[in-house]
Amino acid sequence: MSSLAPRMSPALARIGRRAWIAVAVIAVVAVGLALCGIGFGSTWIDPRRIVEILLGEGTRGERVVVLQLRAPRVAIAVLAGGAMAVAGYLLQKVTRNELASPGVLGVIGGAGLGVVIFLALLSDESNALVTSIVWQPVAAMAGASVAISAVFLLSGQQASSAVRLLLFGIAVGAVAKAATLILMIVGPIYRTTQASRWLAGAVNEINWAEVQVVAIGLAIAMVGVVAVARRLPPTDLDEVSARGIGLNLPVFRILVFALASALTALAVAFAGGVGFIGLMAPHLARLIVGRPVMAGIVASFLLGAIMLVGADLIVRVLFAPTEVPAGTVTAVIGTPYFLYLVLRRGSTNG
Amino acid sequence: MDKAITVAALTVAYGAATALSAIDLEIPKGKVTVLAGPNGCGKSTLLRAIRRLHQPKSGEVRLGDLPISGLKEKELARHIGLLAQNPSAPDDMTVEELVRLGRYPHQSMLQPWSTADGEAIQAAMFGTGVSHLSDRRLGSLSGGQLQRVWIAMVLAQETDIICLDEPVNHLDMAHQIDCLDLVRRLNQEHGRTVVLVLHDLNLAARYADRLVFLKGGSVVAEGAPVELMSEQLIEDVFGISCRVITDPVHERPLCIPIRNSSPRFRAEQATQL
Repeated sequence: MSSLAPRMSPALARIGRRAWIAVAVIAVVAVGLALCGIGFGSTWIDPRRIVEILLGEGTRGERVVVLQLRAPRVAIAVLAGGAMAVAGYLLQKVTRNELASPGVLGVIGGAGLGVVIFLALLSDESNALVTSIVWQPVAAMAGASVAISAVFLLSGQQASSAVRLLLFGIAVGAVAKAATLILMIVGPIYRTTQASRWLAGAVNEINWAEVQVVAIGLAIAMVGVVAVARRLPPTDLDEVSARGIGLNLPVFRILVFALASALTALAVAFAGGVGFIGLMAPHLARLIVGRPVMAGIVASFLLGAIMLVGADLIVRVLFAPTEVPAGTVTAVIGTPYFLYLVLRRGSTNG
Repeated sequence: MDKAITVAALTVAYGAATALSAIDLEIPKGKVTVLAGPNGCGKSTLLRAIRRLHQPKSGEVRLGDLPISGLKEKELARHIGLLAQNPSAPDDMTVEELVRLGRYPHQSMLQPWSTADGEAIQAAMFGTGVSHLSDRRLGSLSGGQLQRVWIAMVLAQETDIICLDEPVNHLDMAHQIDCLDLVRRLNQEHGRTVVLVLHDLNLAARYADRLVFLKGGSVVAEGAPVELMSEQLIEDVFGISCRVITDPVHERPLCIPIRNSSPRFRAEQATQL
């Protein structure tokens, strides 16, 4: 036993170092994909040219295409995909269940319903909002909070049982989606077609004001995420052992659920109900970076961003000029993956 | 006798069912106290109430003179360590990672890491003989090794009091002895107060400085094993007729069960005949 104990053993330090190297690689991929996302469209713009335009060069036409039309769309995809992935990471960690995600727990459905109610109540006949766009994520957050609270209350005493949480989450999500559908059919929404496309998850028609709202909201939420991250390691243990080392897991879990709801709401408010990113991105992140928490959160954010930017790019390549919601791609890939997870668990857990 | 913990008129209920009724108990400092009794007697509930995992309906638990209800979660975790009955951690977690978690209550936003943490972790792994396993994944360990690692985590917490809830339940005989020897060594060499819940009466008699018998949510008797291990008392508490002899090796009382003597069991036997 040396008197000068190192911060961690070489092996653990190596695990941490490897994780951050992996994060750096993912970041490079994310930046590359984002540039491709901006570059691709009716005319291809070279990534190097995009960087120049972003730095203030380029013709007026180029600047309009890149800065006004394409960049906001990619930016919102990065922020929304990242936010949902981080929400999923937190939820999976704190429920100790790999099936947990904003979608499965009904948070996306609730946030969507919140936004549709908001649009129904507060848009006039010319489809213009009678209030500030800033309130849209607030409405989403309210819907998300109601949904997650309902899931919690219904699970009751067994709220710590992850399976019950998931079952009630799926049920609450289904109710929220049904209510959304009814509102869109009979409700006073004049932009029904837009709203339905938005619900499926579409990142087109985004402007900088909306990007700004999400970015500011996300910056605030990320402060919470960093604060929470330090307390995440004990959540790897069972509830009694976590209490034993001084983390009141049931209380902490509520805090994390609130944070995950806020992150999801921010994403859903402007990018729509993009499903399964919150499920898949954290899995992939853990697969690549392993167990370190901070690296896992950053990797989740980047992979979520990659997934949504990538999904948007795919629909633009395959279906142009028709605008197909990016959420359809994540659903097409995510649903079989979710079923695979359920079946695999079924076979191992009897 | 210095007391580490005082349980005063403690009543704990699960909904309508009373699990512990008006328990008064003192846990002596620096000794090994074993809670024993038949299934459902409330011994695990008492241990958990001592560690504030159950809210008492009435009464209180005091740490020295301090009611534990007033302590913050981390504060309490710096005083009392707990090894849960069925602890679980991810298979891909390394031994060192788990033991490091024992330092969680000592760390804060302002002080995320200190050399004291590193020393405590090394000392805990050394003391439990798991230093050589430090980089192994938990999933690759045997049951006995795993239990040692969990004890190392609790040890790294550097608490004066350690509670262990049926720590040898899933272990074979060799590892049971191994584990309890380790616990007693921690008590003797480091002066830690140990509170154990044990199922096996003979293991309890062998390792306890002080034995507490519970039945139906009440403390029936407490004292040194030699005093408590009488054939009559064991029959009253455990519903078993037995002979008690002195273990020739450890010179502790040893119970040899003869037959189940509880009235209900006898009645069932009678109807079957």
